[in-house]
Amino acid sequence: MPPRASRRQLLGRALGVAVGAGAAGAAGFGVARATEPGPAATPAAPQHDPTADIVPFYGAHQAGIATPAQDRLAFAAFDVTTASVQDLQVLLGTWSAAAAQLTRGLPVGAVETDPQSPPIDTGEAEGLSAARLTITVGFGPSLFDQRFGLSAKRPAALADLPTLPGDGTLVPARSGGDLCVQACADDPTVAFHAIRNFARLARGKAVIRWSQLGFGRTSATSVGQQTERNLMGFKDGTRNIKAETGADLDGYVWVGAEGEQSWMRGGSYLVARRIRMLIESWDTDRLADQENVFGRFKTSGAPLTGKAESDTPDFAAEGADGRPVIPVGAHIRLAAPETNGGQKILRRGYSYTDGIDTATGLLDAGLFFIAYQKDPRAQFVPIQTRLAQHDNLNEYIRHTGSALFAVPPGLAAAGDWWGKALFG
Amino acid sequence: MKTTSALSARSRAAFSGLAVTALAAGALTACGSSKSAKSEPSQAAAASSSPAGDPHKAVVTVTAAGGCAVDHTDFPAGQVTFDISNKDATAVSEIELQSGQRIIGEKENLPPGFNGSFTVALEAGSYSLVCPGSGQPTRQLTVTGAASTSADADLSTLLTQGAKEYKTYVDTQVGYLVQTTQALDSSLKGADLVAAQKAYMKARPYYEKIEPVAESFAVGNDDLDKALDARADDVPPAEWAGFHRIEKGLFEDKSLAGLAAYGDALVTDVQKLQGLTAALEYKPFELANGAQELLDEVSKTKVTGEEERYSHIDLLDFQSNVEGSEQAFADLRPALQKIDPALTGTIADAFSALDKLLDTYRTGDNPSGFVLYGTLKDTDKPKLVAAVKAVQEPLSQVAAKVTKA
Repeated sequence: MPPRASRRQLLGRALGVAVGAGAAGAAGFGVARATEPGPAATPAAPQHDPTADIVPFYGAHQAGIATPAQDRLAFAAFDVTTASVQDLQVLLGTWSAAAAQLTRGLPVGAVETDPQSPPIDTGEAEGLSAARLTITVGFGPSLFDQRFGLSAKRPAALADLPTLPGDGTLVPARSGGDLCVQACADDPTVAFHAIRNFARLARGKAVIRWSQLGFGRTSATSVGQQTERNLMGFKDGTRNIKAETGADLDGYVWVGAEGEQSWMRGGSYLVARRIRMLIESWDTDRLADQENVFGRFKTSGAPLTGKAESDTPDFAAEGADGRPVIPVGAHIRLAAPETNGGQKILRRGYSYTDGIDTATGLLDAGLFFIAYQKDPRAQFVPIQTRLAQHDNLNEYIRHTGSALFAVPPGLAAAGDWWGKALFG
Repeated sequence: MKTTSALSARSRAAFSGLAVTALAAGALTACGSSKSAKSEPSQAAAASSSPAGDPHKAVVTVTAAGGCAVDHTDFPAGQVTFDISNKDATAVSEIELQSGQRIIGEKENLPPGFNGSFTVALEAGSYSLVCPGSGQPTRQLTVTGAASTSADADLSTLLTQGAKEYKTYVDTQVGYLVQTTQALDSSLKGADLVAAQKAYMKARPYYEKIEPVAESFAVGNDDLDKALDARADDVPPAEWAGFHRIEKGLFEDKSLAGLAAYGDALVTDVQKLQGLTAALEYKPFELANGAQELLDEVSKTKVTGEEERYSHIDLLDFQSNVEGSEQAFADLRPALQKIDPALTGTIADAFSALDKLLDTYRTGDNPSGFVLYGTLKDTDKPKLVAAVKAVQEPLSQVAAKVTKA
């Protein structure tokens, strides 16, 4: 007899008792075992150094923004299905508690439960470390409609993103959402485990609207990190805002006293864009053109006006032919603060692939772009508008998903929860 | 004897009737019964905390370090209200009051920063207040004073009664299954294709309502589920018989030719099922697991359109699975209401939301009573699945609770 029977086997076996009297003894054992109380529902002690690989969950700002980017992403947008404000608050409180557990490498609840109960935590991350897991939660514009009485709390900066040039390719089912959860970790199982358990804790209150896995961080968010390449083989996050640059974080990322909604102070705004790369076309483009599209050398990552990756691009430099060395439509020129009135954003995107586009057999792969900023109206929107109009890269990319979320400040300590100040 | 058409309406009416009496019983303090308020953010409930020293009130503070601390541990027999606040115990989401192994009161969904309460009528004896997951998960409480009638006896009577009612339900449905299958068989021997199609749709629901019971006979020659309900790709083509073989003839080939033999075999098999189920007794946890399994069927094969791939009456099967599941829950409900009223309410609400959603797909346009699967839009299916999952998640807690009761 197997040590633990499935629900179906149990029902079948127990029902079998009444049919064949001869089998009663054996089946009776099965039933008795199944009804014995399980071991105490205490989460198993982690089998690793409990302090290793842990990013603190509580703090002035949510982790997962200025935190040095982890290797993996699992992201989900949720639609709230309950009509009850109280249910929504309990859900956010439950998520907050679950995040405090998970980011310490602990399960959300017991895996070894009473044999008649499903495990509280789904269990696939048992024995894994916290893997620098961060869980970052945000509120979409649609949460501030009439349902939960939050319309007066909607920040002006959470204005719906305008339709930008090229947005005709956006897929509604990959866009928007009332809530978002960004789980980043160095282990893909740990990141997915967080999203899966959040979805389970939300059952009956919220459902996943869309989700995205990401596998290679594409931006350096710390001076200690090297810039990884995107799927086009280029380094495209070199001039990103770094965790160590406090002035940039305060100037461009964290919402300060300028915001009219006090509950958002210390928070940030997340823009997510699923950007499919037409990589088969890109792969046949000649090297010189690829480099002109980005404005960087492919291998070294140096700007076309420099030698090393970290060299500052010289946008004024002209070649012997009198034309700019970094072309006018080069991606790094259009995205640069110099072109955008000094504005910067904190990029924290990941490469993705979702198999193939069944209509064409071509790979569905690209960049899941995530950016954090103080005010998308002054940052993402004008920058992306310029890019969408003039970027040489547009020939090789399609934006297929888009979402905006207000990411509230960090939680002070256990007992605080996401949205406490919003609902307060 | 319940009549077919009235059954679904009657069982649903019985649910709402139960809700009213059970809540009233809670207020009138049936022994061991409890009611619990919804969780609230702490600041909203702070004003309601009681003056110290009320012997009928327990103030419980849950912390990660100290577990569930209670302001006093001795109580007089009678009503006791537990006012609970979770300060910072992130691993704790529920608090239970136990008498021996039995849960007699409970507050769920209580993350840090939230308050909640439940009220129970206690008789003399020892109790444990348990917050699983905290550092000191158990506190002993003592209740002294006049003893009253045993709640345990009540509960076990209710559970036994519920299991008996479920047996009656299953036996009744199997009875109708035999009758309607015989009618189907006769129509297969006639010449009226449309009448035979209607006869097929009449018989199907009775099987779907009790599917887990039939599926339990999956040993050797008694693999009745396979014989009755196999789809084309479940078995080697030569062995394929049963409902879906007949369905293919009626709805895809649109011919009665050769179907009579399958009809005869089907009658023999449902009669065999009737003989086997007549001998069965059910345990309360089996009702809970059976209810869960019926909903699994819904999300695995009905929402995908796999089950009725020729007739496309999947939503009729869907509704039948749900009704069977609701019936098992209704039979457990009087006992469950005493064990965990909050959970009972959550499940009842989720079932009623699911019923309401399903009702929107009813139509008189075809004899199944529901729109055909092909007319469902891609946006309909996730909605239906989410409504089923909203029942399943809380329902998965029931088996352990009725086992411990």
